[in-house]
Amino acid sequence: MAVGRVDVGSGSPESRGRREGSLPPGRLTPGPTCRVDFSWPLAFRFLGRSMTGFAGDTVASALYANGVRVFGRSLKYHRPRGLYSMEGESSNTLMEIDGVPNECAETTELREGMSVRAQNVRGDPKTDRFAFIDAFDRLMPAGFYYRLFHRPYGLWPLFQNGLRRMAGTGVLDPRRELEGGGRGRSGTRGRAGVGAGGGARADGGSRANGVQAERYLNAAVAVIGGGPAGMAAALAAAESGMRVCLFERRRWLGGHLAWRAREFAGEPIHRRGEGLAALLLSRSRAAGLVKVFTSSPVTGVWGENLVTGFTVGGEDHPFRECHWECRAKVVVVASGCMERPLVFNHNDRPGVMQAGTAWRLARTHAVSPGKVAVFSVADDLSLEVAVDLADLGVEVRAVADAREVGRQDPPLVAALEERGIPLLTGWAVSRSIGRRWVTGCELRAVNGSGSRRLRCDLLVANAGWQPRIGALATAGARLAYCTHTHTFQPAELPDGVFTAGSLTGLRDPRSIEASGRLAGSRAAEWCSGAAPRLATAPRECESLPAPEPGCDIRHGPAIGRGAKAFVDLDEDGTYKNVVESAVQGFDVPELAKRFGGFGLGPGQYRVTGQNLAMIMADLGGDPVEAASPTTVRPPLVPPSLATLAGPGHDVHKRTPLHGELAARGAVFRRAGPWQRARYFGADPRLAPGVDRGSVGGRRSGRGSAKIGRGSADADCGGAKASRGSAEAGRGSAKAGRGLRDEILNVRRNVGLLDSSPLGKFRIFGPDALRALQRVYISDLSKARPGRCKYSAMCNDMAHVLDDGAIIQDSERNYYFTTSSGRAGSTVEWFRYHTRHDGWDYHLVNLTDAFGSINLAGPNARGVLERVTGDDVSNEAFPYMGCRRITLGGVEVRCLRLGFVGELSYELHVPSSYCQFVWGQLMDAGADLGIRPFGLEAQYCLRAEKGHVIVGAESEARVTLTDLGMGWLWDREDTASKKVGAPALRACEKQPGRMKLVGFRVEEGAGSGGPGSPRDGALVVDGGEIVGYVCTTRRSEVLGWQYGMALVREGHAVRGDRIRIREDGGRGGRATWSATVVDPPFYDPAGERLRA
Amino acid sequence: MNRLKLRRLWSPTPLKRHYDTIIIGGGVHGLATAYCLARTHGIRDVAVLESQYIGFGGSGRNTAIVRANQRTPENVRFYAEGLKLWRVLTDELDFNLMFFNCGNLNLGHSEAAMNAFRLAANTHSFLGVKSEVLDPQQCAEAIPGLDISDRPAFPIHGGLFHPPGGIVRHDAVVWGLAKGAAAHGVHIHQGCEVRGIDTDGARVAGVRTSLGRVGCNRLGIMAGGYSTAVAAMLGIELPIHPLTIQAMVTLPLKPFLHHVFSSGAYHVYANQTLKGEIATGAHMDPQVNYTTDATAYYLKHQAEALVELMPALRRVRFMRIWAGLADMTPDMAPILEGNLGYDGLYLDAGWGYFGFKSGPVAGKYMAEYMATGERPEMIRAFQLKRFLENRYSGETAAVMKYGHWD
Repeated sequence: MAVGRVDVGSGSPESRGRREGSLPPGRLTPGPTCRVDFSWPLAFRFLGRSMTGFAGDTVASALYANGVRVFGRSLKYHRPRGLYSMEGESSNTLMEIDGVPNECAETTELREGMSVRAQNVRGDPKTDRFAFIDAFDRLMPAGFYYRLFHRPYGLWPLFQNGLRRMAGTGVLDPRRELEGGGRGRSGTRGRAGVGAGGGARADGGSRANGVQAERYLNAAVAVIGGGPAGMAAALAAAESGMRVCLFERRRWLGGHLAWRAREFAGEPIHRRGEGLAALLLSRSRAAGLVKVFTSSPVTGVWGENLVTGFTVGGEDHPFRECHWECRAKVVVVASGCMERPLVFNHNDRPGVMQAGTAWRLARTHAVSPGKVAVFSVADDLSLEVAVDLADLGVEVRAVADAREVGRQDPPLVAALEERGIPLLTGWAVSRSIGRRWVTGCELRAVNGSGSRRLRCDLLVANAGWQPRIGALATAGARLAYCTHTHTFQPAELPDGVFTAGSLTGLRDPRSIEASGRLAGSRAAEWCSGAAPRLATAPRECESLPAPEPGCDIRHGPAIGRGAKAFVDLDEDGTYKNVVESAVQGFDVPELAKRFGGFGLGPGQYRVTGQNLAMIMADLGGDPVEAASPTTVRPPLVPPSLATLAGPGHDVHKRTPLHGELAARGAVFRRAGPWQRARYFGADPRLAPGVDRGSVGGRRSGRGSAKIGRGSADADCGGAKASRGSAEAGRGSAKAGRGLRDEILNVRRNVGLLDSSPLGKFRIFGPDALRALQRVYISDLSKARPGRCKYSAMCNDMAHVLDDGAIIQDSERNYYFTTSSGRAGSTVEWFRYHTRHDGWDYHLVNLTDAFGSINLAGPNARGVLERVTGDDVSNEAFPYMGCRRITLGGVEVRCLRLGFVGELSYELHVPSSYCQFVWGQLMDAGADLGIRPFGLEAQYCLRAEKGHVIVGAESEARVTLTDLGMGWLWDREDTASKKVGAPALRACEKQPGRMKLVGFRVEEGAGSGGPGSPRDGALVVDGGEIVGYVCTTRRSEVLGWQYGMALVREGHAVRGDRIRIREDGGRGGRATWSATVVDPPFYDPAGERLRA
Repeated sequence: MNRLKLRRLWSPTPLKRHYDTIIIGGGVHGLATAYCLARTHGIRDVAVLESQYIGFGGSGRNTAIVRANQRTPENVRFYAEGLKLWRVLTDELDFNLMFFNCGNLNLGHSEAAMNAFRLAANTHSFLGVKSEVLDPQQCAEAIPGLDISDRPAFPIHGGLFHPPGGIVRHDAVVWGLAKGAAAHGVHIHQGCEVRGIDTDGARVAGVRTSLGRVGCNRLGIMAGGYSTAVAAMLGIELPIHPLTIQAMVTLPLKPFLHHVFSSGAYHVYANQTLKGEIATGAHMDPQVNYTTDATAYYLKHQAEALVELMPALRRVRFMRIWAGLADMTPDMAPILEGNLGYDGLYLDAGWGYFGFKSGPVAGKYMAEYMATGERPEMIRAFQLKRFLENRYSGETAAVMKYGHWD
């Protein structure tokens, strides 16, 4: 199966064909490796100018063909920058495409209607208004900003703002995605063009919008790189029966063979690649063992051989980009090579480019790279480029080869000679000449003697080849300098990682393919766990050419001398800056990298890494093999956040009653994994004038709350709309009134709460009680059938983690509840704290199997009696009782608890019957005025009772005893080794601990104001903060404001007057007086619970 | 122009056989302590031993955020003094630490978070530190592009804005302090790994390093995430969990984010560096470990969170991810100790993800502690014994979870 657009051959000659003589300007006659289709023109805009490219062009190749030479301006010096690389190795060609900043023009396919802009430019990139900065480089040595601008300090903010304005390249409009309320993923903008077919897309192909996808793959062997070695490895591994995923960053397979027209072993080299690709694809179709992903750059190899990357979708893909992760047993890294840039004076001038760039412009895109070229290279492949370009009609004036005489491939030397191209061995370019683009260059012998000036409009320069080590480095390979290939090579490979191909220094196509086959077979062997038989290479490999020696040239001759020679194009880091860093003490690559910013720009390690290391070794007087690479950090190719974020899956749970609540206008909020109804707004259908537009009912169904500065957040009953806009006001005054009604309806009548997320567990077995005794702080041997026992769990520090009810169902068989927040971790908590005991018990989490409905209020029994035939009278079913009752044929567990402080029944109902039971209760109570209430009402109701919610009135400084719940602790029991008991004992008598106290805010003149204190107010004593208000509300029923505060012991004893203070509000300081009173504030005797 | 003349910021020195004071760890804390010992207290016979290169650990791996918007008065006072030191040090060291005083906006996504913000704002204001609670609209005005609608899974309820905070160039702090310390005679030894600690009865006597044995009278353990491992050489167990914490930057953009913003619910903080990258992080791997491996999961997680908070970031690309160690204590407050088990043994550890912002101020008080032997009042709250006495500092209200067992 092939994923991505696999482009095996280069398209049929007809589709590429254009009659001779009618070539578009800037184009060459398409050869056999051309991938541009001249019959399919694509219009796009650059700088407001209309231009034409063709299908198969990248943005960069199309711009180049249209005569664009200056693509943007550099970060620091605003120097003109042109097309240098083809795979996004530098930031020269990061451009704004369809409003998306920092898109790589080199790798972005051209699409119809694209709008392209240069970055870091004022005006035209050719005549950028900040170009003058280039002349001030002497004021900007490495790390200059650390030594300037701070004296006098008062001026620093001015300089800082100036620096900030000059920083960055791309421009992002942060508000754009918010307009119209649409997000790309919702599909309105995204897929518009996809379904329409054809080339045109509504948004011009912007990757940031549109449909994103995700794939999670599993393979025995992941092959990184679809060149000859990678394909051979995939074929070999698949032949051994392994499942293989192959990832190739380009649109086509074949690696560097894909644009080589030269004859080799009887056929053009590109045919070898096409042959392998065709074989691979036929295998993948036939056996299904191989998945081939093209247009799929790898972003990293992570722990346990997790390979990640993304696939750029084409016209026929249902997604724009697809993030994928592939868990593989083995990774074969065949990521190939890139050119090592030659550092020489003015090596950044537009017109200077890598050999591969010029070659691919000509061979892949049929774009003429220039008219007159000079080469300064250091390897045979680049000599082949010179010969090939000459054959394509480029006048090659001279080829300088930094290697000594005799190192060159004789046939290529002959070919150059044949074409009359002078070859200068032991020479290299020392500077480029020109203004905005290259008009000539100066060549010198590598040792500096002699010089020649040549005119040219294309300067092809490199220092040989370096492997793309990113995937290897992130996989954990230790890299060391190899004095044969003069590259970084793995000194040690991690388990399950193999290498193949030109990465290892091989250049001969046969060797490369053989190394791939070998790596594939080894990978398969490793997967199968068989004893390695392939430890040494088979004889086939011995006769093939070995890795070829590389070139160790550090930089061009006569470097510096008043000119800039860039080690890092992205951050404008020059050779001089490297020297300056070393002089200041930053004399190892890792420090210099940080100090001078080398390799910290968009190109990261790629362009800079090896040169920086070699130059640093040189400056330190060390031999070149001392060069140490800086850390390679993923992602190896920058993925967009849209791609990583994927289609956007908000994972949350809904209770079985979600629909019922939504129908009643519930406003939902996330609470842990759950969507829970916080309060019920008025039904928008019944309340004209409520602005629905801003809510859109996306999650909350018919949510009515208008977003804005509403004031009713947790404002229980008091409806003090004047609480001020500085408060987190999500909700409206309307919701506040609804909340007040919800509360009063429970206090005076009857309400229903969906408490389904409540943790529900069954524990049974011979040692069930022992386990309960271990984790609960009370004596649970007193748990009895038909009775709820209230208790709490503490951690080792005696912090309260949880509280709930425990019921003995039968001998060695218990049922218990936990708070919603602890439901997920309770099983593990039991297991952890009994792990050494070998106890025999079973613990079952029933939380999702059963929903929970709270029926609460003085009329609760009346409602319940209407739906059950069971005796629920106070005598038969008293407070803290637990019964199984039947409602409309459904048996439910019913707990008579009093969290909200009224007569209440907690019904635990099998999830699938929840809607039915809820409906029964709502119908039965309809004439009484039954209505649902939300979490916010529950919060207020329980606070009036002084019932603590863990996390609201407890924190990491307080224990069970500090909360006034010490009575739960069975202090006599030491045999059970209760979790938290030692800590409780240790700090029982400690002075100065924080204690939970209740208070009543004094009203009227003298108390303070304005308004009332809020949660989070301080408790102060003299000039000192002694505590804070956890929860405070004005109670509608009581008619006064109550609250709970954590206060240092001694500063708040019952009857004391305390000062409550708020400073942080916009209205300035406010203080109130309050009296310390013991909770519960409401119904202190608990008569209503027992009614 | 004299300012542009290039000199070594610090020079290599031979490793002596004995120093009056040795500090283990060439990060912000160790260098700041050495600098203050030499400059303020005249103790110049000081060596800083760093196993890699200075700033290798947490000092070079953080997101450079500084602030004093903590929860408890002890912490707020301490970090508020720390904020004042950036300017002082910039001047003293004659090295631009590039303090960008942009303010921090902490976003709240629940009523409970807003209550916590109100408590923080009240506490800060009471102590004279600026902070205020913002509503969602004000948050969106401060951070353009913030999605304050109901679309995110955790809608924004409001924020806590803290104007005195900002970001500081973290490497500059390391280098500036190294420069200052070296100028006052401190020896900085890079590539010098401590492998053992020698004691002489009840006193510390010296350290065994990869470069040989070195004697000392006073020893400071200031090795960030590795402090537990160093303390363990003396059999001292610390209630510290080293966790991997990750951070990343995007490709550089022209400035549009003018404050640091953070969100507890989404586990995100983000700011735009002076170079234009969005630096963002916050996620901690829950398993205790000493690796600094970044994870694919986190890159994705961070993208999911950021695009919910600010949809425009969909158009931005991540360029680099890295990881460091956070030495977490159970209460998210540090451990600053003197004469810990042995006379002359000092410890400055357990900073969690507060290690960078606290560096200079911790150095100031640790130097005072080491010079005088008297515990300064400012750091009295950060004693080790609070864990034995079950008196957590309250810096985090929530009971911390470091493993699957909580």
